[in-house]
Amino acid sequence: MEQFKGTRFKRSDWGELRWILPFVLPAFALIALVILYPFGLAMYYSLTDYNLMRPLSRSFVGLGNYLEILRSGYFWDSLWKTTYFTLLSVGLEFVLGLWAAVFLNKKFRGRGFLRALIILPWALPTVVNGMMWQWIFDANYGALNGLLSQLGFIKHYVIWLGEPFMALNSVIVADVWKNFSFIALLLLAGLQTIPAELYEAATMDGASGWRRFWKVTFPLLKPSILVALVLRTIEAFKVFDIIYMMTKGGPADGTQVLSFYIYRESFQFLHLGFGAALSFMVSVGILILAVVYIKGLYTEVEY
Amino acid sequence: MKNQSRQGKMWLLSGVVLIFMFTAFGLLAAGAFAAEKTTITVLSSDDFAAFRKAAIPDFEKANPDIKVNLISVGYDQLHDKIVTALAGGATGFDVIDVDEIWTAEFVEAGFLADVTDRVTAEMKKGIVPAGMNILTYQNRFWGLPMFVDTKFFYYNNDLLAKAGFKTPPQTWAEFVEQSKKLQEKKLVKYATIWGWGQHEGLICDVVSIFPAFGGRFIEPNGKFVVNNPDNVRALQFMVDLLYKYKAADPASITADDRSMLNSFIAGDVAFGLNWSFAWGIIDDPSQSKVAGKVRLALMPGEKKKSASGAGSMGLGIASGSRRKDAAWKFIAFLAERQQQKNQAINYGALPIWQSLYTDPEVQKKHPALAEMSSQLKYAVSRPRLTWYSEFSRVLQLEVHNALTQNKSPKQALDDAQKEIERLAKKYGNK
Repeated sequence: MEQFKGTRFKRSDWGELRWILPFVLPAFALIALVILYPFGLAMYYSLTDYNLMRPLSRSFVGLGNYLEILRSGYFWDSLWKTTYFTLLSVGLEFVLGLWAAVFLNKKFRGRGFLRALIILPWALPTVVNGMMWQWIFDANYGALNGLLSQLGFIKHYVIWLGEPFMALNSVIVADVWKNFSFIALLLLAGLQTIPAELYEAATMDGASGWRRFWKVTFPLLKPSILVALVLRTIEAFKVFDIIYMMTKGGPADGTQVLSFYIYRESFQFLHLGFGAALSFMVSVGILILAVVYIKGLYTEVEY
Repeated sequence: MKNQSRQGKMWLLSGVVLIFMFTAFGLLAAGAFAAEKTTITVLSSDDFAAFRKAAIPDFEKANPDIKVNLISVGYDQLHDKIVTALAGGATGFDVIDVDEIWTAEFVEAGFLADVTDRVTAEMKKGIVPAGMNILTYQNRFWGLPMFVDTKFFYYNNDLLAKAGFKTPPQTWAEFVEQSKKLQEKKLVKYATIWGWGQHEGLICDVVSIFPAFGGRFIEPNGKFVVNNPDNVRALQFMVDLLYKYKAADPASITADDRSMLNSFIAGDVAFGLNWSFAWGIIDDPSQSKVAGKVRLALMPGEKKKSASGAGSMGLGIASGSRRKDAAWKFIAFLAERQQQKNQAINYGALPIWQSLYTDPEVQKKHPALAEMSSQLKYAVSRPRLTWYSEFSRVLQLEVHNALTQNKSPKQALDDAQKEIERLAKKYGNK
């Protein structure tokens, strides 16, 4: 934008604009129609008691929905579960992803093959991933119980998805398996932009491998890390599909994360007003997370 | 000069594009008018979708001006699919599949068209009341039942004989006794598996077990009694089956009526609750290891002789449909005696016509008509509330809290009672 500052709109620009506008306007109208309009409408709904079951008796309730959310036990319970899910899954994905990226950045035979392989979990649709892990975790016929009992680690089959806290952790495992590869890919791309001379210079100065990683790799990788963490945190915070496939929020609400709670309120009970208010609460949560990341991690990189 | 010719070209291009678009739209519109056929779209559950699909060619032959487009989804997706499709009076679907627990909700939301004037005197007289009731609300008719159904008690007679039992359990206490014996003799690892994941199927089993112990949810005067002592005793029994008697596969907590059926047809368990559609699968040697060994008995009782959760479904017309006449023709066609007979004989469903229960051909060819129809007397409906989804959600959660031993049965049902009373107040006890 900088270079446009100060240039006045000239009469001769109109000729150009006359041709540009008709091409831009449809796209703009489309965006307004599919993003701005629903956004405004949802914000309005969040201030009403709109219930599809009684569509005619819609009335304005102000901040009533938001107050009810703050008083609702379901909300705090699912907020806690979502936070736990997000922290643990993104944390594990980051550690595994960073390790895989550093490993795949080294030169060795078969590296190309492994690099291609690591895309696989990420390329799998989440729904398919959810179904696959549901089968792996199946108490009677699942591969995990079969493996663990054959290796002698467990005597009785474990009902992985049958105990609330265990089920939440099991879903996290499935999510980590799929998404660590996404972080690995992003970080691998970041690693490849770091000039080799920097390592040579560091080695020359006598820096150990660990020190090279902390003093060279990590600071220069920060932008990639930032992008990876922001994207994954936002995704994890609004996780829905893998829960829907694997546990449907059960057992005993053990995996009822925020998105699933919103889905229940909006589409099972048809409380559109309440559901809209919940969605805005989640959006605010995500916004706060994003700001924290950017403030904490964003630094200009200079070589 | 150069600039002018560029502008000219642009105008020409725009003109060509416009002409092309108008032609395309014109052709499309002409095509729509040329087709005289009315196409109706039916949204059906997967259960018995095979029968409905097979009936379409016959219907289209009898009604050459109507074309039927049937879309089927799994039961678990059906409610959400209907709600999202019909919200705001959309006209995408003409006929929708309605579970008996949704009637009140859908009518209040304005999703269903009133068909009271279309229902014939013959239908009112000939269709069994248990069926006709499911789509009746506020003394008006909102569709026709397609089959009558409840949960049934299936048992593996082969395993029972090996354990030395000549008859299936008649009470839940006997059920535990037989289960223990079956497990002691190592005939099965667990005597039964239930579909007790946190979903609607759990409530269908709850209304099969709670009433047998004398329990109920609503008093005749409309007061909720979710935590009455009989219900607590029944829930304690369910918990004990898992942890004290260890007579049920612990995986029950994650199962639904489809996955429990997989264990049953593999011969891994001796007892199981399921709907009538299960019979077609259990008795099919290409799918089931236990075909020919399984029988159907009256659901065990305790205080009461027997009880089983009702789950009939029917078809109604979407209120936004512009093809209501054609839609009704299709519904009425599937409800006809001949079609119902076919559905009973070839797909194992219980027919809606009283007369078909005594029809010699149906009696001869339906595998379990006598057993099934004697269970119908003990069918228990889930509460009819416009806010049933929320009622069920609370009950599912609290029953699950007991089944996963998060709470004692008493505590769980006390909490359910409190939350349900709050909801009832919010919705004006409707």
